[in-house]
Amino acid sequence: MSISMTVNSDNKAATMKVIGRFDFSLHNDFRKAYKDISINAGQYVVDLSGTEYLDSSALGMLLLLKEHAESHSSQVKLTGYSDEIKEILTIASFDKIFTLG
Amino acid sequence: MSFDLNEVKNVLVVDDDLTNRIVLCALLKESGYDFIEAKNGEEAVQVVENNHIDIILLDVMMPVMDGYQAAKAIKSRQSRFIPIIFLTAMTDEAALAKCIDSGGDDFLTKPFNHILLNSKIDAMLRIARLYKNIEEKNAVIKEKNLQVQQEMILTKKLFEKIVRNDLRGDSTGLQYSMSPMSMFNGDLILAERNQTSGLDVILGDFTGHGLSAAIGALPVSDVFHSMTQKCFSFVDMLTEANSKLIELLPTHMFMAMGLISVDRSNNVLSVINAGLPDMYLYRNGEIIHTFKSKNIPLGISKLTSSQFEIEMHTLEYGDRLIGATDGIMEANNPEGEMYGLDRMLKIFESTDKGEDLFDSILSSCSYFCRGAEQTDDITLLEICHLENIEFASDKEFSNEQRVASDWALQFSLDIKSLRQFDVLPYIMQAVNQLQPLESGRTSLHTVLTEMFANALDHGILKLDSSMKDTPQGYMDFYQEKQRRLESMQDGSIQISLNHELNEEGGGRLSLHLMDSGEGYDFKNTNTNKNQYSGRGLKLVSSLCTEMKVLGKGNAVAAYYNWNKK
Repeated sequence: MSISMTVNSDNKAATMKVIGRFDFSLHNDFRKAYKDISINAGQYVVDLSGTEYLDSSALGMLLLLKEHAESHSSQVKLTGYSDEIKEILTIASFDKIFTLG
Repeated sequence: MSFDLNEVKNVLVVDDDLTNRIVLCALLKESGYDFIEAKNGEEAVQVVENNHIDIILLDVMMPVMDGYQAAKAIKSRQSRFIPIIFLTAMTDEAALAKCIDSGGDDFLTKPFNHILLNSKIDAMLRIARLYKNIEEKNAVIKEKNLQVQQEMILTKKLFEKIVRNDLRGDSTGLQYSMSPMSMFNGDLILAERNQTSGLDVILGDFTGHGLSAAIGALPVSDVFHSMTQKCFSFVDMLTEANSKLIELLPTHMFMAMGLISVDRSNNVLSVINAGLPDMYLYRNGEIIHTFKSKNIPLGISKLTSSQFEIEMHTLEYGDRLIGATDGIMEANNPEGEMYGLDRMLKIFESTDKGEDLFDSILSSCSYFCRGAEQTDDITLLEICHLENIEFASDKEFSNEQRVASDWALQFSLDIKSLRQFDVLPYIMQAVNQLQPLESGRTSLHTVLTEMFANALDHGILKLDSSMKDTPQGYMDFYQEKQRRLESMQDGSIQISLNHELNEEGGGRLSLHLMDSGEGYDFKNTNTNKNQYSGRGLKLVSSLCTEMKVLGKGNAVAAYYNWNKK
């Protein structure tokens, strides 16, 4: 389980990659990864290609990231998810409040 | 902490040899310890019983009771940690191992080195100090734990009163099972009888578990019970619950939920699935419809009542709606495998009798888990559409009795008000304040609802009831209604209520509804027996004392007689 954070050189996008299980145990690490990063009028990308599992507390963390992004007029995009994770995101209708791609 | 580093330590010296004792005691005195002497094991046990001893220096070979037995007796009787150092002339390994086996903490072979003895005593006292520290902290934690537990029990009692559910049972068709993972539960089931005498039920699952997850249940329960009782529509109720949760819950918390409403007047099931796993409608051994999640869970985004996606399906008696939170899918066995959707769907296929479905799912899940500890709350719910249902008691009539009076109310609604809000709850509230009718609020509300729907759906919007004849039709009907309501330019409904006392202390309530539509040829519709069918008026006529269609078919009057019991 780990989180890595890459910020583009133009400062318009930041990519967070979540490896392993995305659940409550990542709560602090996930928040730490984005809290000091301010992307203004850009995009926070959460790369879920290495994510095996995602639970409802992870959905909650994504909502916190969305709040952080919106306070900087930025958006959150979720990418790289597996079919199983897509299913979880769809059940929660997160496709209506996040950009999926 | 009461421990004092400078406190003089009391050492018990146990040896049958006087010389040994004198030498040891002199040494201890020199190092600043107090001491007590004992000549054998039995004496030593006595001394420990009656004195505060910090550490024991124990010889092995002694008359009456040897060192091994003494160590065993002392360690078994004392709850606090008293270190024992064996002093022995024996050097074979088996004998030294026996020292430790019998309860000794260390040993030193005679003749011993004074410096070594002093260091061993120091080390042992240090360990004893640690033990004492831990014991004291444990006692504090134990006490705090007890306090927390008592508070939890109290809170749980209060909590259960607030989110109580007394509508479960054979007579209502509702059954459910909740297995709380902890004392409180992130899952929630709320049920209330609606205006058609059917059930409105919320099945909810808050993010997380335990107390923090359960907190959100209180406002939801409050909004649900009070608004449903006041006959607000379930979308208005959900809109309110959603804004309450947005206001109260931190950003990362939300409630996935399903709202299930059984309309007994029309035999229609409405479901709003917002983040729960699929819910199933089961009829005659098979799933005839799957209600998928199409809405955002509550507590995340502001929503207006028209933003909820409702799915509807016609109901036949014996139909069963099965819903569950994700706990049942994710229930795991000792090997960490999940129960999963496929296993549950197999039960639907293999069960022929609907009555067994609910229990079969539960037992198949618990058989699969084989007692493994669960990481999520498991909640399963079933609503069966029974031909006859009975609710235990009608608590609505516990209202204090008001003196009957004569009164009249009039409402006039133009198309804009008809579009914007649901006036019926307000009328019902007014009636209840003015005159709680002893013969039943629910049926009065049904009468009013049906008359209103007749005026709006058929009189003004000119919708055709035969649309509702197919399972998909009801949904189409509902959507078409929304569409026409939005685009309609003109139209109005007049509602008059008039209450008159009778001589026996009861009264007669007249309801008169007139719409601006063209009316219909009510005199020649069908046979006499079914003349009202298709306009929802059959039900009205069966619930009230008298009913008449008036004018050109654009007005209906219903009379409702009631008597004091």
